[in-house]
Amino acid sequence: MDPRQRPLLRRRLGVFKVMTWGLVAFLVVIYAWLQLVRYWEFKQLAMQQAVKIRPIPAPRGLVLDRNGHRLVDNRRALHLVIQREDLPTRPEVVASLAAALQVDPEALSRKIQSYRLAGKGRPLVLKENLDEAGIALAERVRARFSFLGVEVAPRRVYLGDELAGHVLGYVGEVDEPLMKAKPDLYRLGETIGKEGFEASGNDKLKGVDGQKRILVDQLGTEVANFGQADATAGHSLFLTLDAGLQKVAMDALGEEAGAVVVLDLRDGGVLAMYSSPSYDPNLFLNRLSQDMVDRYLANNLTRPMVNRPIQGIYAPGSTFKLLVALAALEKRVVTPQTVIYCAGKKNFYGRDFRCDKPTGHGGLSMVQAIAQSCDVYFYELASRMDIDDIYATAEKYGLTERTGLDLPQEKRTRIPSRAWKRKAAPKDPKWYAGETISVGIGQGAVGVTPMGLARFYALLATRGKLLTPHLFYGFRDDQTNALEPASPPAFKDTPLDPKHWAVLDEGLREVVLSGTASANPFVREIAKEIPFSGKTGTAQVATFVDRAHYARQAKNLKDHALFAGYAPSEHPQIAFAVVVENAGFGSTSAAPVAAKVVKYWFVDRLTNPLPPPRGKLVDPFAPLPTEESP
Amino acid sequence: MRERFRALDSRLLWVMLALIALGTLTLYSAGRNTPQAGIWLKQSLWNLLGMLLMLLLATTDPRRLFRYSFPSYLLGLVALAAVLVIGKKIGGATRWFVIAGQTFQPSELMKWVTLLYVSHRLGSKSPETVGKLELFGAVGLVVFPMLLIQRQPDLGMALSFLPILLLIPLMKGFRARWVVALLLLLGVGGFGAWKVALKPYQKQRVLNFLDPSADLQGKGYQVNQSRIAIGSGGLIGKGFTSGSQTQLNFLPVKTTDFAFSVWAEERGFLGVVLALGLFGLLLSRILDAAREAHTHAEAYFCAGAAGIFSLHLLVNVGMVAGALPNKGMVLPFFSAGGSSTLSFFLALGLIMGILHRSRVK
Repeated sequence: MDPRQRPLLRRRLGVFKVMTWGLVAFLVVIYAWLQLVRYWEFKQLAMQQAVKIRPIPAPRGLVLDRNGHRLVDNRRALHLVIQREDLPTRPEVVASLAAALQVDPEALSRKIQSYRLAGKGRPLVLKENLDEAGIALAERVRARFSFLGVEVAPRRVYLGDELAGHVLGYVGEVDEPLMKAKPDLYRLGETIGKEGFEASGNDKLKGVDGQKRILVDQLGTEVANFGQADATAGHSLFLTLDAGLQKVAMDALGEEAGAVVVLDLRDGGVLAMYSSPSYDPNLFLNRLSQDMVDRYLANNLTRPMVNRPIQGIYAPGSTFKLLVALAALEKRVVTPQTVIYCAGKKNFYGRDFRCDKPTGHGGLSMVQAIAQSCDVYFYELASRMDIDDIYATAEKYGLTERTGLDLPQEKRTRIPSRAWKRKAAPKDPKWYAGETISVGIGQGAVGVTPMGLARFYALLATRGKLLTPHLFYGFRDDQTNALEPASPPAFKDTPLDPKHWAVLDEGLREVVLSGTASANPFVREIAKEIPFSGKTGTAQVATFVDRAHYARQAKNLKDHALFAGYAPSEHPQIAFAVVVENAGFGSTSAAPVAAKVVKYWFVDRLTNPLPPPRGKLVDPFAPLPTEESP
Repeated sequence: MRERFRALDSRLLWVMLALIALGTLTLYSAGRNTPQAGIWLKQSLWNLLGMLLMLLLATTDPRRLFRYSFPSYLLGLVALAAVLVIGKKIGGATRWFVIAGQTFQPSELMKWVTLLYVSHRLGSKSPETVGKLELFGAVGLVVFPMLLIQRQPDLGMALSFLPILLLIPLMKGFRARWVVALLLLLGVGGFGAWKVALKPYQKQRVLNFLDPSADLQGKGYQVNQSRIAIGSGGLIGKGFTSGSQTQLNFLPVKTTDFAFSVWAEERGFLGVVLALGLFGLLLSRILDAAREAHTHAEAYFCAGAAGIFSLHLLVNVGMVAGALPNKGMVLPFFSAGGSSTLSFFLALGLIMGILHRSRVK
């Protein structure tokens, strides 16, 4: 290099050097800004994303029947899972995994894809609630695919399956709208009761969630625990239900659609409440399959999701005659001794109203009219009253209100009145006297729930106690497993005139001894041992030209059979209402169901009792579970 | 062998070893509890291999290397063209050859070969006798491989060739009209690039840089997490292997592009000043080598090398702090990677050779 050029080059290199240190200084200033000036801000951000408060879900309380048999239990459920960091990426691995699990490879890869995008914190669940076959399959598959894991999580188990589906309901994740409406009450992903007692008793069962402060990594996985407030378990509680009686009700209805309600006359406790067809709440814990939707939710033929005892509105038919009789006695339009002549039909306001017995019953007193279920007698009673008189009596004895049972979405009984007609039929608001005649035999616009009907017969049995049916019996003392009874809901006393009551009581006795229900040999046999009282009813579903026409009709147009009453006839202890849908006459279909209830409650239950709940768990029906709950 | 070691410049060596130490600690911490736990060991092997190469070059007469610069440059162009055809495609870009299971990025080495050849050409004559045509020719020699690299595409790498052009003001002095010309070129070129040359992901990077908070879950996420890591490090840092952003994996690509964030989080501002100070010393020493060089070509090479190192420093350290666009330029001694490590040591070896020759004469 020419020495003359060196100074110039050095000067320029000197500029380069200054620029270099300038660059270093520039970077130092940037870092000073971030690390010194904005330190607290970034420290907060780093803390916020790494330190999380996570809820610890409280164990939900168990549900027991009145004798301590478990109806709802908590068990450990096993899920086949993949942790996020172990997700398979290669399509051939996904395909062979799908083949091993016997699932559609397309669906599996979609599942993995959407989990990769959205899933956080929890592993991907491939198969939930493994049963024995599922566990065996999982073990085989895990031998080949080591990245699969098995996760243990608490799970609700409904021990009777379909035994008390509608009563118990089921649990699920809280809905987003509900959570947004009450953010202080619910948290995201919380398990709450969705239906039945799980829903109405949610506050008692749910307990208090704990929480923990944890360190999480970018995937939301817990890395360290800084301390926690433990959860307080929910209360376990007893229902008034008797599992044995419930099973009898279930078996008695069998394949038929319908409802059975049995009330304890001491306090209004519901001893049995079965809706047929029932559903198995266990099935609703998993994601709903199309098969389930078809079978349950969208089944408009048998409507399995309707809780018939409180949501089924049935024309009460002849079971309503007792209210008409009571109204007539209290209005003094007849006396118990008044004899009314039945010729098989009678003309009111220019129209013939037929009796069930075409040849006519002849002259009948009230007791005989109840026993024989003579329609003409009650047409006559109704014709002597105004519809609002009947309504007022129904209102007085609680038939127009909801029973107040502690289950969600109870429907109201429908008793017509002039005011009701104005509202229900604004185009034709006038009440016609002829309509009152139909109401006299429990047809027309009258509609009652089986629970409402049972409550009315409980009122007859107790001479005027208007009970509030209830399922909640009391909390369980978690140390001794003993019942701490809760005080039953208050009842209203609306005493019946003893003279009136005596007539109705005798009429109901005669129904079983000599009247409409006595035609059935099984009913006769049971009544011989345990005399019981009740009233048959046959509710028309459709109108027919004649009997031959009726006989030809499809099953779902046939009459509903009803039976409501109480037992034993002397000093009654239980009241009941039975509805068998599309089964024909009340005496042949519904009364035997009631007889089976009576037989179990007063005979079999005492001579051949269920094994007592021993130790931790006795499931009275299913084979003993393979896994004991903790 | 002792002779060979004596050829190493001790000031440059100590600064370099210190930076290697910081980088290895950083990679150890970044790889902990991840599938990349052994990355610090792997990188140490690359460093060792690099230092052997450096030793070899330091004791080679630089003039012999300059003599081979033209065929090397041609070979480099062929390699860049070939990688477009037979290279391995990773993440949408074709930048790598696969040789015996290892990926190799020819553009890393090409940067230095280009510098070597351009220095050789411009340095073969006295600066005042170098004409405009030769200067334009030199610009062409730099721009041509840049265009090939942009085809891969790899804008960050292409831009890292630009410091070579600093040789022009070094030879001719700083002229106001060049600054105007450069600004004009940047303006027109920038607009043209935005309209024509930039890929959608590159546009996204520019947009993210202009407003990082607009896309916190996507590309902006990386820089945002990096800023949190750096800022929450504070004055003294969270301690070795104790950075929450690093250890809990909030910090992305922490063994390569964002390795410096790991250092900044765990060692704090003091650690940052230490690292940047060492880089400053390294660059100073390289510029010293330019001062002392025997020939113009040697001086130009050292100055250009300082420019390339400076650009890496500026873009990477600035980028992880969110002060510059997310360009994906590695930081020497910190970011893991074989091709870049070997290339950096090759350059350092040449510089040491130049320093050695200036001392012995």
